Amino acid sequence: MAYNPGYGQPGYGQPGYGQPGGQPGYGQPGGQPGYGQPAYGGQPVGQLEIGHGPYPSVGAGGGISPQVQQWFAAVDKDKSGFISVPELKSALVNGQGQNFSDTACHLMIGMFDKDRSGHINVEEFDKLYTYINQWLAVFKTYDVDQSGQIDEQELSKALNQMGFRFSPEFINFLAKRSDSKEGKISVDSFIVLCVQIQRFTEAFRKRDTQQNGTVTIGFEDFLNVALSCSI
Amino acid sequence: MSFQSPMPSREFLWDIFRRVDKDRSGYISADELQQALSNGTWNPFNPETVRLMIGMFDKQNRGVISFEDFGALWKYVSDWQNCFRSFDRDNSGNIDRQELKNALTAFGYRLSDEIVTIMVQKFDRFGRGTILFDDFIQCCITLYTLTSAFRQFDTDQDGVITIHYEQFLKMVFGLKCWP
Repeated sequence: MAYNPGYGQPGYGQPGYGQPGGQPGYGQPGGQPGYGQPAYGGQPVGQLEIGHGPYPSVGAGGGISPQVQQWFAAVDKDKSGFISVPELKSALVNGQGQNFSDTACHLMIGMFDKDRSGHINVEEFDKLYTYINQWLAVFKTYDVDQSGQIDEQELSKALNQMGFRFSPEFINFLAKRSDSKEGKISVDSFIVLCVQIQRFTEAFRKRDTQQNGTVTIGFEDFLNVALSCSI
Repeated sequence: MSFQSPMPSREFLWDIFRRVDKDRSGYISADELQQALSNGTWNPFNPETVRLMIGMFDKQNRGVISFEDFGALWKYVSDWQNCFRSFDRDNSGNIDRQELKNALTAFGYRLSDEIVTIMVQKFDRFGRGTILFDDFIQCCITLYTLTSAFRQFDTDQDGVITIHYEQFLKMVFGLKCWP
């Protein structure tokens, strides 16, 4: 398949994949860990509901800010000193007034739960808190009408700016596969979708030794990637 | 290897259907199905397995099961039960790594110990190193889905495929390997 790889997209500096004839560039948005968005901060903690209204702030400096500790205490309903998937789920509400999906909560706990205990302590929660805020900031950028959800076009724009170059057919596939309602994607679905794409892209890139957007992969390795990177 | 069970009578199915359809709506919802199914423990039945099963038998695409679809679903669950029991050699109610490997080998898969270990880790909901009935179904359906996707590209059947980025993503995206 002949298409011009043309790497070195300004601002990303990552080798690119994409549709034939498409623009190069993929990888993490901005190329920074934590998906490269500057932390969204400086606003007071308003309410547990996010996706609407005041977004919670990220405490500056070392240690865990009182705000995060307050949050942690509020979310840790059974006062176990840990936050479980159900506790996180009941604390997070997307722009439609629905709780975050099980998938999103499972994904986020799993990312910060280093000892695989299935729950996170206050230090891990501190990192998760920052992480969620970063995603909210990203999401907010694309949710132009502040409806709390983005449509297929806005998704396309978001992925594009993160450095992914997908065909319209593929964007359509993504919008249908993710937990979207009538083609609208809420913030929790958006997080799940982006993390999945990032993980699979990372795995793909490792195997794309020619950097031409194709891989030659055996069955076991394929299974390994599919199982290890999926949520 | 066959795990086929006979299709029960319509009366028998209707009796079960009515008991599962708690709200008497005439349809079985995901919640009702989940409550009706047991994995042999007090823990709720794997919701992802329920979702996969409704998706398979819900002909009208409404997310619920009508009585017409129920017979096929009932038989499907029974067949899985027979299958599970036959590989649960020690009758422990769960399947360990070796039992899973035996099962997958009987299904015609040739998988390394590493992959089987990854599968147990992935589908073991309670961190016990074993797989329950509901997780076993999810594991087998997921493996089947991935294998079918791979086969479509492996036209020369040598176990190796060359695929583009978007093709790759389409094959693996949207899998849920957790309950």
